[in-house]
Amino acid sequence: MSFRLTVQLINLFLFLFLLGAAISIGSTAFPVDLYLRMDPALVLFTVLSARVFLLAFIPSLIVLAAALILGRVFCSHFCPMGTTLELIGKVRLWGKKRKGLPTYLSRIKYLLLGFLLGGSFLGVSWVFIASPLSLITRFYGIFIYPLLSLAGESGLTVIRPLAEKIGWTGLVYSRIAVPVFSTQLFILSFFFALFILEGFFPRFWCRILCPAGAMLALFSRRPLIRRKVAGSCTDCGKCVRACPMSAIESESIKTIRFPECIVCSTCEKICPEKAISFPGTRVEKEPKAQNLYPERRQFLLAGAAGALTAVSGLTGLDGPKATGKVGKIDHDPMLRPPAALPEAEFLARCVRCGECLAACPTNTLQPVWFESGVMGLFSPKLTPRIGYCDPHCHQCALVCPTGAIAFLSAEERLWVKTGTAVIYKEKCLAWEQKKGCMVCDEVCPYKAVEFRFQEGNPVPVPEVHEERCSGCGYCEHFCPVKPEKAIIISPNGAIRLAKGSYIEAAKKLGLDLSLKQASQGVLPSDTKPLSPSRAPGFD
Amino acid sequence: MGKNTLSRRDFLKYQLAGAVGAALAPGLILPKDLSAQAVPDLAVVEGGPGPATRATVDLLGGIRQFVKPGQKVVIKPNMSFSTPPERASNTHPEVVRELVILCKEAGASSVLVLDHTLHRAESCLENSGIRAAGNAVIKNCVQAVSDPDLFSEVKIPKGKKLASTDIMKAVLNSDVLIAVPVAKSHSSTGVSLSMKGMMGLVHDRGTFHFRDIHTCVVDLCTVLKANLTVIDATRVLTSGGPGGPGKVLKGNMVIASRDMVAADAFTVSNFEWYDQKFKPPQVAHIRQAHERGLGRMDIENLKIKKITV
Repeated sequence: MSFRLTVQLINLFLFLFLLGAAISIGSTAFPVDLYLRMDPALVLFTVLSARVFLLAFIPSLIVLAAALILGRVFCSHFCPMGTTLELIGKVRLWGKKRKGLPTYLSRIKYLLLGFLLGGSFLGVSWVFIASPLSLITRFYGIFIYPLLSLAGESGLTVIRPLAEKIGWTGLVYSRIAVPVFSTQLFILSFFFALFILEGFFPRFWCRILCPAGAMLALFSRRPLIRRKVAGSCTDCGKCVRACPMSAIESESIKTIRFPECIVCSTCEKICPEKAISFPGTRVEKEPKAQNLYPERRQFLLAGAAGALTAVSGLTGLDGPKATGKVGKIDHDPMLRPPAALPEAEFLARCVRCGECLAACPTNTLQPVWFESGVMGLFSPKLTPRIGYCDPHCHQCALVCPTGAIAFLSAEERLWVKTGTAVIYKEKCLAWEQKKGCMVCDEVCPYKAVEFRFQEGNPVPVPEVHEERCSGCGYCEHFCPVKPEKAIIISPNGAIRLAKGSYIEAAKKLGLDLSLKQASQGVLPSDTKPLSPSRAPGFD
Repeated sequence: MGKNTLSRRDFLKYQLAGAVGAALAPGLILPKDLSAQAVPDLAVVEGGPGPATRATVDLLGGIRQFVKPGQKVVIKPNMSFSTPPERASNTHPEVVRELVILCKEAGASSVLVLDHTLHRAESCLENSGIRAAGNAVIKNCVQAVSDPDLFSEVKIPKGKKLASTDIMKAVLNSDVLIAVPVAKSHSSTGVSLSMKGMMGLVHDRGTFHFRDIHTCVVDLCTVLKANLTVIDATRVLTSGGPGGPGKVLKGNMVIASRDMVAADAFTVSNFEWYDQKFKPPQVAHIRQAHERGLGRMDIENLKIKKITV
């Protein structure tokens, strides 16, 4: 195994390990989002769109700085997207011969960069459509992870009867939760297309499309350590054909387009004369390579396209239905994760990497499809039907690479209001059918659902106290009415702060979002029973 | 001969069996009390959770009356809520531990402590203290069960509202079922004791609410009958149940019986719920269970043995 492959596999392993840690470990013990923060495109467009710089973004600066010295080593050695595609490319389903591509296609990545720039100037981040780390995290996090879980759980199902015979009770009752995610079909189609392209054209993504690659290309126009061709070169052209990036000019073989070179040393290995090396010292002046940058017009046009697409988003053209009022678009509000920034800022910062979705222990976080317009694509929303949002959990914020979901202290977290429960009385078993139920009251971790007696109804009926409801969704999740629940969380009343204290904000509005269960386990023996006049459930 | 007809010989046999049975019934031929040591219908012991639990079982004739060597036992506590023992929404861990020890002493081949938790399984097992208590006696014996695969469809021939339901396979495969609920109030069934607790062995409980929960609980108890019921009234959640917080009364008592209905009925009448006194028939599922012959709620006619340890 070559040195490069070893480094690649180690990095892919580390990336997957950190993703695994994001899913399973609820602490800051590991920098679970490190690889995302190494992606220069992801960081640049978040910084430009959200107008914010975080210290957490420094890894991407290191990656860019490294390109000045070493060229695009990130692409060839570190990027999990590049490694995944390269590994897929090794499976030659499409014959041994792989085809070349016209070099002018390599300009597309710069145009994509222009497109993203155009949008980000208007505060709209399109980076989620093309950031390699966002895409690959989504691929592994919400596509591969459920598949592996299912495989693991199926394996356990096979072993379980045996375990029961041997008496390994722990194994009999161990479970691997298999998460479900919407938009998986998109991810599958997208990556299937990329894999097919990879089969035909090596490094298609990195060469033609990747905006992070484009940024690194701009930084590696003349890296300090670079390829050198000795005089023993016989112009045989083997390296030209072998180069996965088409970085070597076919007309003058000694000339390389450094922005395109990812320092994979394929040419060094293939050269029969051993004429190619990547020495650590500066070499004499080489002939200047023809660059593959787009024309200025093209670049500006791409920028304008990005800006126009952003405008379309900002005017509501991108949504499936017209909402809001004239001059002010307003997509149906989504139930966002707890402490998600105010919507516009949230969408500017959220890179749709899917870490929060994969990490959510109750699976309530789901990627949004078109409900929130093109601008909201793949952003996370709470789905109480699938799972509740545990007030003691803030895993989504913990793993968020850009702070689109603010990470709060445990006490602050309890006071986040993501929405408000609404009872649909005509569906409620107690209100409408006079059947004893009260599951919503039973499960509410706050003091938001209370029962009272109604004239002419033998069973107690639930009522929501909006000022005590955090929108956590326990009630909706456990409500026995199907398929539409009789108690549903609406995004109304959600509090989303750009900065400041959630406790103060809630108290200012007269809310009481303290939990039903005294966190210290205080014995509430002196509390008065909640019952107003009658004992519920007795005749 | 048709399938559903009885031959005369069979008919006579049944009649004879019935007559002999009636003749031998306590109080007819045999004296009502064989001795002062006769096994009571209800054992009521005041004391700490562990010792009181052991004492109630001893009053009923000892654990060997219920668990034979080599048998598989399932213990069903309340551990559905991620709350500490003092909140009284879960069974006291020491009560559960004592039962696990008793079953182990009786030579059970396997002892499992199972519940289908409402809150997240991991935090229920942790915060209720039951996992630590049970596992200290038998490794891995305390488990939360929620996966549909671990339940199996069971017909309820005598069901009035439920024709069938899905019950934990481990329970169906067991020889002995011990119900060990905490005594607590419940906002839709009045109280949640041994009978209501059986819902913790079912997967789709939502349906129960939909179909009239009291009747469904009784339907369920026609197929899930605990061999031994031990009600943990060391703390009683008399309001705000099932999850609380509510008024927690120091009951300092453990109640045991072979009869789920009797144990539940005694518990209802022995404490004040929502600061009021209630009689067993005021809890619909207790009344219905009595009427349907699952057990007896007329505790005034039952033999109750009370001691303090």
